Amino acid sequence: MNTLVWLAVILFLLMIGIGGKKGARSFFAIMLNFGVLIVILFMMLGRDNDPIILTVIASTLISCITLFFINQVNITTKTAFVSTVITIVLLLFLIVFLTDRSMIQGFSDEEMGELYVFTMHIGVDYVKIAASVIIMSTIGAITDVAISISSPMREIFYHNPSMSRKELFVSGISIGRDILGTNTNTVFFAFMGGYLALLIWYKDLAYSLGEIINSKVFAEEMIGILCAGMGVAIVIPITSWITALALVRTRKKSGAAN
Amino acid sequence: MVRVIETARKKLTYSNVLAVVLFAVLVACSMYFVYHNYSFYDRPIAKVTETNQIDHKEVTAEHGNKDEVFTQEILAEIMNGDKKGQQLRLTNEYSSSATYSQAYREGNDLFVSIDPASQDDNAELTGTILDVKRDKYILLVAWLFVFILLLVGKKQGLYSVISLAVNAVLISYALDMYIQYANFGLLLMCACSVVLFTLTSLLLVNGFNEKTYAAIAATLLGTLTSLLITYFVMWITAEKGLRYEEMGFLTRPPQVVFMAGILIGSLGAVMDVAITMSSSIFGLYEKNKNIAVKALRTSGMEIGKDIMGTMTNILFFAYISGSIPTMILYLKNEYPVSYTFSMNLSLELARALAGGIGIVLTIPIGLYTAIFFVNRKRAKS
Repeated sequence: MNTLVWLAVILFLLMIGIGGKKGARSFFAIMLNFGVLIVILFMMLGRDNDPIILTVIASTLISCITLFFINQVNITTKTAFVSTVITIVLLLFLIVFLTDRSMIQGFSDEEMGELYVFTMHIGVDYVKIAASVIIMSTIGAITDVAISISSPMREIFYHNPSMSRKELFVSGISIGRDILGTNTNTVFFAFMGGYLALLIWYKDLAYSLGEIINSKVFAEEMIGILCAGMGVAIVIPITSWITALALVRTRKKSGAAN
Repeated sequence: MVRVIETARKKLTYSNVLAVVLFAVLVACSMYFVYHNYSFYDRPIAKVTETNQIDHKEVTAEHGNKDEVFTQEILAEIMNGDKKGQQLRLTNEYSSSATYSQAYREGNDLFVSIDPASQDDNAELTGTILDVKRDKYILLVAWLFVFILLLVGKKQGLYSVISLAVNAVLISYALDMYIQYANFGLLLMCACSVVLFTLTSLLLVNGFNEKTYAAIAATLLGTLTSLLITYFVMWITAEKGLRYEEMGFLTRPPQVVFMAGILIGSLGAVMDVAITMSSSIFGLYEKNKNIAVKALRTSGMEIGKDIMGTMTNILFFAYISGSIPTMILYLKNEYPVSYTFSMNLSLELARALAGGIGIVLTIPIGLYTAIFFVNRKRAKS
């Protein structure tokens, strides 16, 4: 049987075995996300569809699936969702600016060697595609940080219902600081694993430091890693602020009801 | 409240101000350097001074794709070498999809080659554009990254930056070693570096304590088992369905590079799971020293279930998204969908699935190693 099918079956069994129903939901969430990605990919082929708008739609759908389908709709997943979307939109401005300026879109000289059989005039704006790739590769990490902050914040609030908005915000930030290191690490290693072949290529062909730093693929990779890291950091204050606001508001509502 | 802010302002001591000033000076100096470092490059660099669009046509390429092709004439000033200061004429053809080349604007720095023929007489120099000088953007993003991490994370942000820098140096050094002593094998090299990465990252971020030791043990066990499972599956299925052809940048046997990539790629996520499991188990134990092992196990499993989905998602998107540009190129060239997917997604999916297996396996592994360390601590006290 196919290697991929085997790996998928093993992952599925492990997720059910360890996570039970929630594990099964997590597995199907990944499949659904994959589906969204494929649909968006086909929509990007259309000449009139703006890849950036498609990316925002895709990110919204993906974080919806990841948060609401796995963890149900409640106040923490809602605030995590809003924070993820805000972070993505903020990050998008920066990334579009950077991809445009640093000209990292499309294919490099090294890749062109294999791709020479293809027509390159395909009428899809690759600057926007490059920005979209960077955002899409970060969305998983951003959602993870958002939910890892908002959910313990609710626990803290339940145990100390008299906390002020500012105190809640501060506690959210401190949770965020604790996970910042491991999260940037996760992103860093995930990218490194994907680009290991490239790194060996540079070393084997004895590229000079100047050549590596200025080459398109390396720049693309670095800007990707660093933007992902920035996303992981920016989402911390955003989630803390929004969750603090939402939690305090629920108290006001229940206070008014009493 | 006002008093709190006042004391906070007073705490803004000399050393804090000094650190900020030092950081600003460092950023300013390095940015100045990278904007004026032309003489450090051997390859000729030219700065665009004037651009004129001389041609514009709409093309309908094969497969009915409509695109616009532009031709630019560029005047540039050579910034380094013995031709420094002289004018250079370049032409640039690009399409609006910018898959390969792009429009240049005034002020862009380009790596060029100068036509030898045009150097003989006193005629105008002509040349070809080779690449864009991107170092300033990389530095700018890097500083922005450091700045945001410090702003949000303060001390922890600084530790994260340091740990990333250490890991980057380690990975580069490990690859140098591998290339020098190729008979070591890439997998062995990566296994050694995985141990080093785990030690430096976890110890640096979490300090020397039982919690960290438990996480280190769980990380190593988790990556090892997931690697063995992946290896076993690849062996039993004879790697059917994995298309190494599309793996770019190959100077070495693809299987080994691929396995090493799985090992390194899932490491961060596995570490994340391991430290989450061990710090929550130790947190529960610290709160109630007499907590039963069974209670620890149940709460640990609950935490594991919570993080399982989002963690696997991280790897999934980090890997799959990268193949979007090539897939669009394939599909726009009217390659069949199934062929496009199997060529471009098989390795990425395998990597994501293998990483996912590592993440999920590390949940029970992390739980039981943490409980083991808690029990050991209990026996001691």
